[in-house]
Amino acid sequence: MIEIRNVTKSYDQIKAVENVSVTIKENTVFGLIGTNGAGKSTVLRMTAGVLEPDQGEIAIDSLPVFDHMEAKKNVYFIADEPYFFANSRAIDMQKYLCSVYPEFAVEDFYNYLVNFGLDKKRKINTYSKGMKKQLALICGVCSGAKYLLCDETFDGLDPVMRQGIKSIFASEMERRGMTPVIASHNLRELEDICDHVGLLHKGGVLLSKDLEDMKCNIQKVQCVFKTIEDEAKVIAALDIMKNEKRGSLNVLTVRGNKAEILAIFATANTIFFEALPLSLEEIFISETEVVGYDVKKLILG
Amino acid sequence: MMSKSSFLVSLKENSKRRLWVWVLSALLYVLAFPVFTALTINSITRSMMEMKESYEAAAVMQVLHEKLLNAMRGCFAPSAILLLMTAGIALISAIQGFSFLYSRKKMDFYMGMPVKRKKRFFVVWLNGILLYVLPYLLGLGISLQIAALNGAVDKTVLQSAVVGFGANLCAYLGIYHMVMVAVMLTGNVIITLLGVLVFGVYEFVVRILISGYQEVFFRYFSSYGIDTSPVLSPFTMYMKLGDSFNYTNTVSVKYVLCLLGFALVMGLLSYVCYLKRPAEAAGRAMTFSVTRPVIKILLTVPAALLAGGVTFDAVDFDPQRSMQGIGWVIFFMTLAVVLGSGLIQVIYEFDIRGAVHKKYHILISGGITAMIFFIYQFDLFGYDSYIPKQDQIESIAFVPEDYELGYSTHFDEATGRYVSTGEYADRYMELKNIEEIRELAAISMKEYSKLNAAIQKISVPEDDREEQWWSYTTLIYRLKNGRKVSRTLWVNVEDERTQELLDSIIGSKEFKEGFWMCASDRINGLLEESRYEVRTVYGNQIYSEGLTLEETREFLEIYRKDLEKANFTDIRTCVPTGMLTITLSEAIKGSDYLNAYGKIAKSTRSWEIYQNIYPFCKESIAYLKDHGCYMEGQLKLEDVAKIQVVNRNTEIARELQKQLEESGEGETLSDETPEHLLALGAERATYDYDAGIDARVYADYTQEKEMEEIAAHIYPESMPTSYWDHGKQTEPDYEVIVYFKADSQLTRTFGASAYYGFLEGEVPDFVKEDTLYRE
Repeated sequence: MIEIRNVTKSYDQIKAVENVSVTIKENTVFGLIGTNGAGKSTVLRMTAGVLEPDQGEIAIDSLPVFDHMEAKKNVYFIADEPYFFANSRAIDMQKYLCSVYPEFAVEDFYNYLVNFGLDKKRKINTYSKGMKKQLALICGVCSGAKYLLCDETFDGLDPVMRQGIKSIFASEMERRGMTPVIASHNLRELEDICDHVGLLHKGGVLLSKDLEDMKCNIQKVQCVFKTIEDEAKVIAALDIMKNEKRGSLNVLTVRGNKAEILAIFATANTIFFEALPLSLEEIFISETEVVGYDVKKLILG
Repeated sequence: MMSKSSFLVSLKENSKRRLWVWVLSALLYVLAFPVFTALTINSITRSMMEMKESYEAAAVMQVLHEKLLNAMRGCFAPSAILLLMTAGIALISAIQGFSFLYSRKKMDFYMGMPVKRKKRFFVVWLNGILLYVLPYLLGLGISLQIAALNGAVDKTVLQSAVVGFGANLCAYLGIYHMVMVAVMLTGNVIITLLGVLVFGVYEFVVRILISGYQEVFFRYFSSYGIDTSPVLSPFTMYMKLGDSFNYTNTVSVKYVLCLLGFALVMGLLSYVCYLKRPAEAAGRAMTFSVTRPVIKILLTVPAALLAGGVTFDAVDFDPQRSMQGIGWVIFFMTLAVVLGSGLIQVIYEFDIRGAVHKKYHILISGGITAMIFFIYQFDLFGYDSYIPKQDQIESIAFVPEDYELGYSTHFDEATGRYVSTGEYADRYMELKNIEEIRELAAISMKEYSKLNAAIQKISVPEDDREEQWWSYTTLIYRLKNGRKVSRTLWVNVEDERTQELLDSIIGSKEFKEGFWMCASDRINGLLEESRYEVRTVYGNQIYSEGLTLEETREFLEIYRKDLEKANFTDIRTCVPTGMLTITLSEAIKGSDYLNAYGKIAKSTRSWEIYQNIYPFCKESIAYLKDHGCYMEGQLKLEDVAKIQVVNRNTEIARELQKQLEESGEGETLSDETPEHLLALGAERATYDYDAGIDARVYADYTQEKEMEEIAAHIYPESMPTSYWDHGKQTEPDYEVIVYFKADSQLTRTFGASAYYGFLEGEVPDFVKEDTLYRE
């Protein structure tokens, strides 16, 4: 488990992160989202032990991370612009990483390279930006580190690659309990990957919740009421967050337990009703509204 | 605790990242060093082999062997070239090794890895040392092998190689660590290089500024003991270590310890800075915010003072006389503060608009600069009025400048170099008549102020103002607290009380022993040194007679007793009868060559020690007479063919010049111009308008009687050495040229003629009459 407690970090007079507290549980995919300058990279860099917090503490499996080898062995950090040695090849990176990560999976590394179509003998500086990100992810996954910290790593990856990475994450999570932490400024990038999401804004955490918990509390239902009176009766009984009307079709975003809400619809006089899947964006809109923010302005732009 | 194997793996991995530095180091040491050695050997061998045709083979081979050994010693011993190579590799290695600190990408990568910061530091640090040491040792080994194959290795060459390696390694550590500190304090390579430049020259500039300002503002400033070469510089330490080894063949432990101490302090400082350095400093100009204003002020203030110093010269600012030009000085100092502060802020922010930020830094720098300027201007620390209290002084050295051959007669046997009178006196003169010296200092300072004011009103060339009236001396106070303070004094030797004090000071045994080498029995040690060939002559620089080594020892013993009784007045009121010159020659090691006769010879270096012999040295003169070395008078008439006297008639020339100028004939001549001026004016117009009037009159004497009378009053031009004590001098208006007979021995040994002069007031009347200018 990664515990970030009351962490503050400033660059000269600029406060990048202020009093952030987040807990990242094992074996989940944690999404850290926020606008540019929200402090995502700073949080990840501190979590990786690159930066030392001005205040607060960060512990990896109860061990302080900064300059602490036992803790750092469990972390692999992929920066937004991953670094590779000058004129090096994938094989050179593997050799170096083997010297610092004792659990580095050499065989898996070469298998992944083949699967992703990366030439191990080609100089990395001739790779495309996306290929470099793939290689960085492969390095991280094969390092054997329990926590993989990815800073904007999925930005710019094509859907096929994203799917490939997702499946690697899934298998590694299942095999050895790997916990990816993915920072992004784009909600849609994380939508299909994350189990848990933390929202950073202006250096602080707005919320941090399990996606399932959030989903449980918000439902999206589309229905056609027989009469206007029926509609008014149902709406009065629900905690409506949003009601879009297209002709006689109502699409309602409602706060509350799924079973209870569907029960209300079942007893109401409707021509038909059905529950729809919620997007991460919709969940966030509702959650951030609670704390007085408009998430569209924060993330979706 | 880091395991040995993991450390070695890290070291290996780090080496891969620094391959080009390894290659560069190898090219320099493993390739260039042996190639240079081989070329040197080849060049010497080839040139000597050509001589085999003309000289005996065995002699050629012996000289070749000596030459090769000497060349190899030069190759391997500390030298400027090796220092340059060392400094280059140290600079590249330190910057390249820790360059990951400049880049955020690299910091994210390296700092994210499970490697202790401490371990990373030591891996990079050690690798930086190995990439110097291993190629150096390998290259040195190959070079020695090449030299050995050519028979150019002996114990001394090996010693040079070991000392050279040790000295270069010490210098490498010092420079490497110094650059590391610069890397730790800065966030990009350009600023690091600027930082290294500042480290390299800062102390030198500050020293120059301090001594320069003291010289400009303080009347009694003494440059003695001021060394502008930086103390805290591995370059200076290395050069001094190398000099000491090359001259004395021994390793100066002092400089080795200095270099190692410097390297240790810099190494520790770089390590502490590394640990304190935040990762986010990558790419910034300065790593630590707290150092920014400090460094800015530390750079701006000397820059402003330097600007002021340059302006002093440009506008002829001389605060000891007037404040003329102060406006320009203040203007340029202010400009330097504003521009310097702005420029550094621009560098800090990488933004031209930064020039107008942090204006209070300009105020602080300006305030400090002004404060320093005021300290000098108003002598707030009392530099010019400083005379230590009697109970503070352990001893004093009194060093008159240009006094009685005291200026060029000392050499240091340890380094084999001449030393200044000041350095010699500093080592050996421990005057105990402290109260008298303090009194002399007080009188001189008081009198100088009065007379200086008077001099200002007299129109004399500026350079001659003081010298014409005063005699310059340096006082070195050795204080009981271990400090050494020096001041100059302008002594009025015409003052009665001053003369009494000088009688006591210069008359003391301590003064003589610390001022003249011959006055101390320390010289006996030098005479007994087997490595020196000693040659002693007594004479007046025209005539000379030799003394054997034994005679020299005996003579000096007697002379010291004679000199013991003399004081300032005794010396001042006489003219030396002659001069003793002791020449010590030493063969230069490895300088063998074949002379014109095909014999092996060695080049030599020699030192000369001079000592005046005065008429009051009765016992000494008697000894010289007994040994046939003494000559009555300064000229033997049997050698002389003719004496020519030239009278410059300066006063008359000046008067004629005045008349010519008043008549306006400097520019045009007219019918009304007096005849005698017309001729002069025409002559002057022909040659050069500004040239003075030539009123010289020549008179030649060949009659024995006249020559005898002239000979009784003349001295070789360089003999009267009474400049400092205002003693007897030669008449400046008269020049005496003595022409020797063609068959005289002197014509062969000295030359056809010699220059003499009449002593002041001793020009015979008939000479005056013969050489007077007449219209």
